[in-house]
Amino acid sequence: MVDVATLAVNSVIISALYALVAIGFTLIFGVGGVLNLSHGATITLGAFAAYYASGGIVEAGVGGAVLAAIVVPALFSAAVYKGLIERIQDQPVMVMILTLVVAIAVEQVFLVAEGTQPKSIPSLLDGTVALGGSKFQTNLLVVFALSWVIIAGLFYTINNTETGKAILATSMTTKGAALVGIESDRVNLYTWVVAGGLAGVAGLFLGSFQTANFAMGRGPLMLSFAIVVIGGIGSVKGSLVGAYVIGTAEVVTGAINTRLTGLVPLLLLILVLLVKPEGLFGRELAE
Amino acid sequence: MVNDGKQKTGADSQGKTDAGQGGTRDAIVRRRPLLKAAGAGTGLALTAGCLDSFAGSDGGGRQELDGPLKIGVLAPEPANDPIGASIANGARLAAQQLTENGGVDGYDVEVTVKDTKENPGTGKQKYQEFILDDEVHATTGIFTSEVLLNVLDDIADQGKVHLTTGAATPEASARVHENYDEYKYHFRTGPINAYHLGTNLVDFGEAMFDEMGWEQIAVLVEDYEWTRPVSQALDDQLGDTGVEVVMRERYASGTENFTPIYDEVESTGADAVLTAMAHTGTPAVVQWARQQRGFEFGGIHVPMQLPSYSAATEGACQFGITQNSATPKSEVTEKTVPFANAYQSEFGSAPVYTGYITFDAVKQYAQAVSSAGYVSSDEVVTELEDSSYRGTAGTIEYYGPDHEYAHDVKYGQDTVWPLFQQWQDGSQEVIYPENLATADYASPPWI
Repeated sequence: MVDVATLAVNSVIISALYALVAIGFTLIFGVGGVLNLSHGATITLGAFAAYYASGGIVEAGVGGAVLAAIVVPALFSAAVYKGLIERIQDQPVMVMILTLVVAIAVEQVFLVAEGTQPKSIPSLLDGTVALGGSKFQTNLLVVFALSWVIIAGLFYTINNTETGKAILATSMTTKGAALVGIESDRVNLYTWVVAGGLAGVAGLFLGSFQTANFAMGRGPLMLSFAIVVIGGIGSVKGSLVGAYVIGTAEVVTGAINTRLTGLVPLLLLILVLLVKPEGLFGRELAE
Repeated sequence: MVNDGKQKTGADSQGKTDAGQGGTRDAIVRRRPLLKAAGAGTGLALTAGCLDSFAGSDGGGRQELDGPLKIGVLAPEPANDPIGASIANGARLAAQQLTENGGVDGYDVEVTVKDTKENPGTGKQKYQEFILDDEVHATTGIFTSEVLLNVLDDIADQGKVHLTTGAATPEASARVHENYDEYKYHFRTGPINAYHLGTNLVDFGEAMFDEMGWEQIAVLVEDYEWTRPVSQALDDQLGDTGVEVVMRERYASGTENFTPIYDEVESTGADAVLTAMAHTGTPAVVQWARQQRGFEFGGIHVPMQLPSYSAATEGACQFGITQNSATPKSEVTEKTVPFANAYQSEFGSAPVYTGYITFDAVKQYAQAVSSAGYVSSDEVVTELEDSSYRGTAGTIEYYGPDHEYAHDVKYGQDTVWPLFQQWQDGSQEVIYPENLATADYASPPWI
């Protein structure tokens, strides 16, 4: 049986990564009311951008890989919003269809370009560290620390900057925000760019931890659904808590039987939908 | 392919219009139940007879080759996947060499490649296209066991020889054994079937575990159809090697995060994990190396068989071991290295194990057609059963109809005996069997 300290550290690390995976998804839904099914594809794009920048096409080192993993998905996300979603964002079904098409197209592009074999992305930092009698990959600890830095930075930006407050206001009520002079289209674009960048970093982290492949975005998309529903749709704080609930549950069930790990998020999702459909920190959307 | 005048007429008349082709495809699908119904006296005998003429069964008389020898190749993602590409290119190279050397009975050898996409439905559809549109004499390839099992009934219905060169499930040979007349057209040129893959792991263990210091092992097997017989063989025989099995895990298909599994392995104190991995192998070996886990790693690991794998994983596969049919520099037979060199110069990369096997399959089939003097399946089946073909992966002989693994390639030191390679300094070094070894086993430096 695996010792409790190892389980605890694994839970904390993987949950931080899951939070990063889900926050972009919840931001876009919270602000624009858009269910972005291309979120997983953006994660894949981040991982492959890092792969290409770290020797796949050019040798730009770890710094170049991180930069590529942020910039390319952010630009891609902006392009998806401006090119496809902006004009139909009030039609939820069309939005779902279009973002799903984008997701499939991105998968197919990477399937054709890179094949089915997973690609290895360099670690941010090599080696291992001993903590509490157990050994952990330095890369994972860096992923954990950076995830929290990014999440804290996001919270700070949303609560303390003008643009952040505009995003917050738009997420509460589009009409109200418009009345005080906030351009919702511009705020939506910012949100898509930020969400794209976050998804890209999540892709880099996931890829450096597990490897990258054309279909790697599917799991995170499902995970994002579960996390966002558990935390409360549209709540960034809720996503953070939801990520920790799911991450911990996965690690604990994994210690009992690894075959159950994929099932846990879905069971929790169903449970929350039945018992507390608005999620832990959910609220009614103001209109 | 059609073999006599009556059958050809049926195919031609149906093949000219789309509607006709669709009807023919449906006929293939429906033929078996309809034939059974007819046999049961339901009054459908006439219909069944008509369908038989469209389906083009080979049950008719002997037929000599009177044009190019056409072979259909079923490969998974041949443009993107090195395993599929090797199946396709191995067949192409064999056909090219055969044609350059005078062909078969003076006729060229032609191969056509279609993509199964590792999907059973697509595999079935592509097989039917080979039969109906391309009128091939035989087929080869198929990497995924699930695809093979879905195509087996069509192979039986069509009566066309098929030489499998990737899928390892012994379910196929069990069907040949149990219902020989129907399924006799299926042969597995390689690899050895999945039960023998497990047996070969045990044989490797008996010879090497002691020297490698593997006293306690954890068995990690991905949960796919092909690994069930491997698990069975390990359960049956691993205890005889003297090692202690401290953990057995068939982990879920599609697993990407190996942290909980490796934590458990470490908690058992195992010296090594003995693997059977194909689809999930890369995340498994990358996480093992990156996390510098306190156990050694080896067994069957299909991606590690790729000659370009060290570069693809940025060296994460170093010190990993895998079973393999051949490596580009190993002289399994006198034909192995020349084939690998020819493949490299023709296609710009080294072949994967499926390339060696498919090359052997096409050449052996051509030799069987030539020696039989006929291209009709029943004659070729008899010829293949008696054949002993010295190929690139060993001497290819098949178990007879009475054997439980009927028409599977024979496993043994005198026939096909896989080697074990370890990645050392970016190179595939053979560590077993002794006569092919290019290096001694080396433990990872962090152990």
